Amino acid sequence: MEHGGNLVNRTIMLPASVDEAVEALAATPGAVPVAGATDLMEAVNAGRLRPAALIGLGRITELRGWRYEDGGTAVLGAGLTHARMDRPDFAALIPALADAARTAGPPQVRNVGTLGGNIATAAPAGDTLPVLAALEATATLARAGAVRDVPVSHLLTGLDPLRPGELLTWVRVPLLHAPQVFLKSSGRSGPARAAASVALVLDPARRGVRCAVGAVAPVPLRPLEAESWVAGCIDWDARGAEGAVLIDPAALVAFGEYVAGACVPEGGAHGEGAGADAARLRRTVAVLARRALGRALK
Amino acid sequence: MTDELLNHPGALTGDVRPTASYTLRVNGVERPVTDAWIGESLLYVLRERLGLAGAKDGCEQGECGACSVQVDGQLVNGCLVPAALAADSEIGTVEGLSGAGGASDVQQALADSGAVQCGYCTPGLAMAVHDLLQRNHRPGEVEARQALCGNLCRCTGYRGALAAVQAVADAREAALEAELDAAEQAAAAGPAAEQPAPAAAPPPQPDQGGELPLYADSELWHEADQLIPAQPQGETPRAGGYAYPPTPPHGTAVPADWQHGPAGTDPFGTAPAGTDPFGTATYQDAGAYDGTVYATDGYGAQYPGYDATPAHGIRLPEDENA
Repeated sequence: MEHGGNLVNRTIMLPASVDEAVEALAATPGAVPVAGATDLMEAVNAGRLRPAALIGLGRITELRGWRYEDGGTAVLGAGLTHARMDRPDFAALIPALADAARTAGPPQVRNVGTLGGNIATAAPAGDTLPVLAALEATATLARAGAVRDVPVSHLLTGLDPLRPGELLTWVRVPLLHAPQVFLKSSGRSGPARAAASVALVLDPARRGVRCAVGAVAPVPLRPLEAESWVAGCIDWDARGAEGAVLIDPAALVAFGEYVAGACVPEGGAHGEGAGADAARLRRTVAVLARRALGRALK
Repeated sequence: MTDELLNHPGALTGDVRPTASYTLRVNGVERPVTDAWIGESLLYVLRERLGLAGAKDGCEQGECGACSVQVDGQLVNGCLVPAALAADSEIGTVEGLSGAGGASDVQQALADSGAVQCGYCTPGLAMAVHDLLQRNHRPGEVEARQALCGNLCRCTGYRGALAAVQAVADAREAALEAELDAAEQAAAAGPAAEQPAPAAAPPPQPDQGGELPLYADSELWHEADQLIPAQPQGETPRAGGYAYPPTPPHGTAVPADWQHGPAGTDPFGTAPAGTDPFGTATYQDAGAYDGTVYATDGYGAQYPGYDATPAHGIRLPEDENA
């Protein structure tokens, strides 16, 4: 009750600012920060999680929008919902993230599910994660009296995980002003968990292609060799010219195979069982990667 | 720090069931909730503590949409909202759609267009359609499909629901136009002008939008690229382009040449041989039925007359799960 009534009691806390939230988190070590709760409540309903206390982050309005920094970076609030990211003004900034947010689930889930929650949950099939990996986004982690920046991929892989008492507040994403594509394959035409997804962004300033494959492994995978190889196959100077062919179609196909080979391990004997599943997944990833690059260069 | 830990409700008792008390604002009415486990979903609290059983518990994973409610005007899955964090929010449930016990236009349209069989998904669908039409007064076919994609229906299919979306949109537009016309005429003819009866506008063809929502982008799912083939148009094309007449709310009409039993109210029990309109005598001997259970008089006088659940719910006796 010491925070103007925003902290209801010590089992339910509703801070209105980041400072209050990190203070509450420091004061109650067992408390779980909750944003959209779509993953958390699924675990609670299934009996896998019994939180000692909840810190609701929905009142922290500063984290529900975004701002610009240094002219070339967008700083996205962790509380940005998927529904918000799907809107046209955001889609003009970071198209791949908007596409990923659009396919992330039904409206009921997208209305509350947040970008920060997607990173903190780090589900293998999280749709925004390959996009953030391809964009080489950075996350800002706040704790009482301190702030640090960590690449999102380090958070996801556990190289530099979220420490106790830390709260994910902002996500820094470079604004590349170039085509970006997110493609996803799933089990039905409605929103569903991805079987495989590919995020691909062009970085014309550095003449680079960055690609990440999601849902085929516990974390998004970056086929770095395939990226650097295909960047050399692209006719960057012809970009923008009328009717220019930027890349040989054969190179597109080879890129798809290269990405699939790098991200999906050989499944042993072909034809049945796990081997057949791996072969099918490889083919799916190859098609997604080929199409993603083709659309980005169209 | 030590004080903080000692003051924590779970610190001394080893409490594994931390609770909280809060107030939910449901359909405009303040409903206190006392000593509820903090992990209880909004769906559970609405159903089990507040007696609002309209939202249904389907999957508890956010897959089915049967628990759809509105929180602060946003459509959400009630099963995925911690109820304690929805305190001070405006919560709208399907009970709040219907004003004084009657069905809202959305609910009536769902019933009229035959979107209901088992009815389990229907409250969620009603909320989804209501939410869609709040945000978009003229949704196209694609927009409607996208808005309803989070509501699974496993027995009826989605055509009825999509037709209901168009029916409600048409009806609301017609009502608005009639209102505007009336206002114009009133302005032109002075205050004494009579308001004309609102004429039903011809239902405009739904905007097909050109393509269906494409979530899966892989050649594995290329069939989703194609539009559903158009249904053959009958003599009574309805909004949504479906030729089938609507099923009336009380069921399918009995064929005109059907002869009832002597009592006239008992089509299954005592129909004499030879009256079967389908030309088979297979079903005529149904003596096992006493006929009263399945009476088709629309409940008439026998309807026990349950009161509709009020929009703010009912008070339940203490239940052991609470």
